[in-house]
Amino acid sequence: MGAHDRILLLIAVVGAVLTVALDFRPVMAAVTRADDTILGWISDLRTPALTAAADRVQALGSFWTIRICAWLTLAALIGVRRLRHLAVYLAVFLGCSLLGTAVARSLGRMRPGNVTILAGWSGYAYPSAPVVALGLVLVGAIHTLVPAGRWRSRAAYVAAGLMVALILSRLYLGVDHPTDALAGVILGSVVPAAVFLAAAPEEAFPVAYRRGQRAHLDIGGARGAAITQALNHQLGLSVAALEPFGLAGSAGSTPMRIRLTPTPVRTETQVFAKLYALNHLRSDRWYKLARTVLYGRLEDEKPFSTVRRLAEYEDHMLRLLRDHGLPTPRPYGFVEITPEREYAIVMEYFDGTAELGSTLADETVSSGLAIVRKLWDAGVAHRDIKPSNLLIRDGQVLLIDVAFATVRPTPWRQAVDLANMMLTLSLYSTPRRVFDQARRYFTADEIAEALAASRSITIPSQLRSLLQADGRDLLRQLTRMAPERAPVAIQLWDLRRLYVTVAVLAGLAAAVAATAAYLQTTSLL
Amino acid sequence: MNRPTRPAQRNARCVLAACVLLATTIIVTASGCAAVRASTPACRSLARLGLVAQSVPSAAYVPCVNDLPPGWSVPSFDVRRGSTQFALLSDRSQGHAVKVRLTGGCQTGRAEPTTSRGPGVQTFIRLSSIDPRYAGTLYDVFPGGCITYRFDLRRGPHIALMQEFEDSVMLMPRHQLQSELHTELGLQLQP
Repeated sequence: MGAHDRILLLIAVVGAVLTVALDFRPVMAAVTRADDTILGWISDLRTPALTAAADRVQALGSFWTIRICAWLTLAALIGVRRLRHLAVYLAVFLGCSLLGTAVARSLGRMRPGNVTILAGWSGYAYPSAPVVALGLVLVGAIHTLVPAGRWRSRAAYVAAGLMVALILSRLYLGVDHPTDALAGVILGSVVPAAVFLAAAPEEAFPVAYRRGQRAHLDIGGARGAAITQALNHQLGLSVAALEPFGLAGSAGSTPMRIRLTPTPVRTETQVFAKLYALNHLRSDRWYKLARTVLYGRLEDEKPFSTVRRLAEYEDHMLRLLRDHGLPTPRPYGFVEITPEREYAIVMEYFDGTAELGSTLADETVSSGLAIVRKLWDAGVAHRDIKPSNLLIRDGQVLLIDVAFATVRPTPWRQAVDLANMMLTLSLYSTPRRVFDQARRYFTADEIAEALAASRSITIPSQLRSLLQADGRDLLRQLTRMAPERAPVAIQLWDLRRLYVTVAVLAGLAAAVAATAAYLQTTSLL
Repeated sequence: MNRPTRPAQRNARCVLAACVLLATTIIVTASGCAAVRASTPACRSLARLGLVAQSVPSAAYVPCVNDLPPGWSVPSFDVRRGSTQFALLSDRSQGHAVKVRLTGGCQTGRAEPTTSRGPGVQTFIRLSSIDPRYAGTLYDVFPGGCITYRFDLRRGPHIALMQEFEDSVMLMPRHQLQSELHTELGLQLQP
């Protein structure tokens, strides 16, 4: 536990002890006497000008200030789709509000009794509700919207300044005791900060506004060190450098290239790795749920239960495809970075390869189509054939990213693989040449079925956008060359889709009801 | 090969989360349970009554709830600068709580005087309905303040209910409250 965590914990414990102790009359009397003394000193400073200023400053803790801050934060979190932070924010806001109310009702503390109260107030004094509320919205905004480091430190100083201003104004106006404000700071700022650090740790859920896929994690700092250590301890790889690689083509993991220091045991100079984390697992679940509701099951798309399973599965698929002679990267296994949370799967880095770009020779086109033939023969579907998952080396197509591959797929899914390969190769050749090469491996009927199965939803988004940019309507040109065949229906209705859809709708309705109840409870409406 | 060293920070976070959760649970359990039974301006809860007195600093009397008869509860209690209000609900008058409100003053209008409920207190009653429901407002007017009791009771049990809530809500003189706060809790109450 770091010094920062220890301090937060200590302050929270002090707050809890103080709260429990105040339930005893002698303690309450002694604390109130001390509070009254301080308030007496402060009230001696009262002047009309200071009173007017304090009255304005205490608007920082008004319902409207709190509501506006809370709503802006919620809107921003929804806007940037930072759902983990949103969930923690909502839970913290509700939990601390309820705790504050429970403590206030339990102690039933009066407002200061030895000075004239100069401002409006509502409810019990301990803990100071406006101080709790302002702390909650400021700490919440800082921990969910402001990137860690310099910017967060600056924001924290500003927030601390605002909190001090509010507290001083309320003490000056005689609305709160000093201990009410102290309890408000602990409940509204210290406890939420501790919860944010524990429930949305920066290393796992970084607050960042960089371009690119949201799924990509920062592989520098502590995580980079942990990956390096894990590769060394578990696979015997001596890491010289770690760098993000091919981020544009990957949405479901964080790909990286790892440069190695060759050892007597390991002679490789670099490997490729993909980092899987909880957020990738959740993305996978939501993606599959949405496809089930929108299209029925496009395939047997059961979500993975853990990150470990995700890594295990891809490692298994790499080995299986190699066994069947497919040109996929050699697997090195996977390493555990954080148990059940983060794993990195390591594989051969295809050296000397080029991405698809220039016009392909017939031999290259043929090797791409041969890959699909081998997949069919092996009873496997790749399910994500697109330009970024194909590489060229010595005129031969190599296949990468087998994470979505499935064994014993439906014929429909295999047909889609063929269509996507033909479309991808056509982008860098001509439909006619691709069709002719395809006929070496597939019957005309098989090709016709593949093209009839092809729809916008079956084409990976990268390939879809390249097809649109190409402008040749490659699917139509290919379809014309194949025997005529009715399009294959994509909408599948079964019992599972029905009950998943009903469950999703019921979940949405429950979420709306819960949101309304939440907003009422936390006074955000 | 060695097993990886698990990042120590994660364990620390778990400890921190567990401690915060534990502390929260203790406080919520202790204070939450107490809050349920204590959110009543009971005549014995001097600090709570002190807060009621602070809401209307001019009021010579403060309303408080003495022993509640069986079947009665206090579903709401709201204190703020300028007023205090709470509700008294009987299980024989579901959905129609008696609303008690302390303010700095009130207009009794055409309300009729009735038996006074304390020294220096003028009590009035104004009925808006007798049958099928017994509804209206009772006023306790005293120097610097006024307490209104809005009731809407089913005819029949209304006589017993009126008697019960009038017996339940007592008027505590401010000077007595000030004295008891000082002697029992060591607290001051201005003015």
